[in-house]
Amino acid sequence: MDFSAFRKILTVNLKHNFFVHMGIAVLITGLTGILCNITALDYRSAAKPIETFLCLTGPVLLVPVCLPEQNENIRDVICSKRMDYLFVCAIRVIYSAFFLAVLIGGFAAVMRCCESNVTTAHFVGGFASALFLGAIGFAAAALSQNVTVGYMAALIYYLGNMGLKDKLGKFFLFSMYAGKDDGKGLLLLAAVVLIVVVFGMMRLRRKFSVLN
Amino acid sequence: MLFLKEIKKVVFSLTFLLYFAAVLAMYFTQFVPDCEMVIIRPQPGRESYGTTVKEIPEIIMPKAIDALVTEYLYDSFEAYPFGFYKEVKLNEKKKAKMQEIICELTGLAGEELDAITDFDREAVFFEIKISDNLTYERFRELMRQADAIIGGGSRYSDDNIVRNFSVVPGTYEDALAEYNEIFEKDQITGAYARLFCDYLGIVVAILPVFVAAALVAFDRRSRMEQLIYTRKISSAKLISLRYLALCVTMMIPVVLAAIFAQMHIASLYSGYEMNHWILFGYVLVWLMPNIMTAAAVGMLLTELASPLLAVFTQGAWWILGISSQNGLVGIIGNFTLVVRHNTIGKRALFLAERNVFIRNRIFYTLLSILMVLLTIMIYEKKRRGSFHGFFRIQKNSDGQSKA
Repeated sequence: MDFSAFRKILTVNLKHNFFVHMGIAVLITGLTGILCNITALDYRSAAKPIETFLCLTGPVLLVPVCLPEQNENIRDVICSKRMDYLFVCAIRVIYSAFFLAVLIGGFAAVMRCCESNVTTAHFVGGFASALFLGAIGFAAAALSQNVTVGYMAALIYYLGNMGLKDKLGKFFLFSMYAGKDDGKGLLLLAAVVLIVVVFGMMRLRRKFSVLN
Repeated sequence: MLFLKEIKKVVFSLTFLLYFAAVLAMYFTQFVPDCEMVIIRPQPGRESYGTTVKEIPEIIMPKAIDALVTEYLYDSFEAYPFGFYKEVKLNEKKKAKMQEIICELTGLAGEELDAITDFDREAVFFEIKISDNLTYERFRELMRQADAIIGGGSRYSDDNIVRNFSVVPGTYEDALAEYNEIFEKDQITGAYARLFCDYLGIVVAILPVFVAAALVAFDRRSRMEQLIYTRKISSAKLISLRYLALCVTMMIPVVLAAIFAQMHIASLYSGYEMNHWILFGYVLVWLMPNIMTAAAVGMLLTELASPLLAVFTQGAWWILGISSQNGLVGIIGNFTLVVRHNTIGKRALFLAERNVFIRNRIFYTLLSILMVLLTIMIYEKKRRGSFHGFFRIQKNSDGQSKA
């Protein structure tokens, strides 16, 4: 693998595809800090802004992974290139997830500076919830080849969490705020598995579309 | 003909199927479980009839003053300025103003007030005297001033003071009056209709934006945009029919859920007289403006810029609206996007806000129509080639992309 090609893909994608969505994610994070109290919160209350608001940054960053190729012409051009299209998508997923972690980690650190009882569990839990919600949106967007469907699927799942609460079991996004600490590891694993499965399905679809 | 074509496009879109599923899921997972219990006539002699909120000055005044003094002494005021909890600390100037208010409420001198040390925030209330000359009207005026100093959304605001400090045990008579309202004035269905609209309002205030944005973007994706621009049909007719098709289609799952709800209520109260049309009236007045607004935002911002802008704008509006509500019953603002009434009954609370509710729904209906008119203007400009939309790749005179 040519490292300069990797660097070029990363630079071009960050410049043309990522900054708008990163800006929106930063805006959500900033608004969360302004609208919610983040000072002197106990362990459970500190989970509220992280789990219920910051998790929305997951879909904002992960759903647009396939956005540039939503236009069929661009998709055809990209797919004709030597570099595997799915590899490009994988790079996008990785830097999106990395930035998601930075964002949530940064917010947790600010909360800690504001004397809230924030621990590593909050960071991991918040990241797991955001990544899982983002993975649902990414899956819907990639499989339907429509980013709007991706955002919609993520929002419906978010709505489901507001209504069904702990009936969702281990897949409840706001479990720490509800007083349950376990299950975040599974949520994180499920997010990774979902992303990998979607990549597998995208590869299969490409294979069959080439054969046809 | 075009109207039917647009309806067909909406119905067979993936976003509409998701919307359809979400509406029915909301109905079955939220509304139905809340309606399992049949309301029965209250019997006299029970130990408890729950609690009720009554504006009784003799109860409100001491409790509210105690709470205000305690918060002042701790220099920590609880407030929900945007519906989110905030701990407010006052600067010296504001603290001096607050001290003046408390001195007038209690009749204490400033030094006497600051010398109080035997207070405990964990205790419910500590006893503090109330100024002998204080009338209830003046008390409410001072509490309004205190709320303004805190920054609004405090426990002393007009919206919150009564329900925070005047909760009293309910009586048999209260429970009987509530029962009679449900069975006589609401004719049963009315009471359930408000809960139905409360739950479905959450969904229909946001999801139609996805359906509308996807429909408008569909022309662009299927590269039909330029072809449609050259057709004879006027922009006004095309956009209006498309909008009408969106609104009518998105009412289908709502009406279907309303039919299910009506059947469910009828089965719970077989043998009782009930009005079978109230529910549909509520759906039309309560939920239709939400669908119209979300669909109009979807169309306008997608034409103006991109579907993503439409989705993010409506999403931000919706989540701020949902999260910033201080209560789920009896609080309706002039611009509240998602009107809540998360209970069966409490008709009086809803009726107390009836005028605001009507103003609110008219506002959103008019806003939607205005947004559709703007969409028509933008579409017309795009047809004439004088506008290409924001965040779009424009082409120069040689047909080459500028990007």
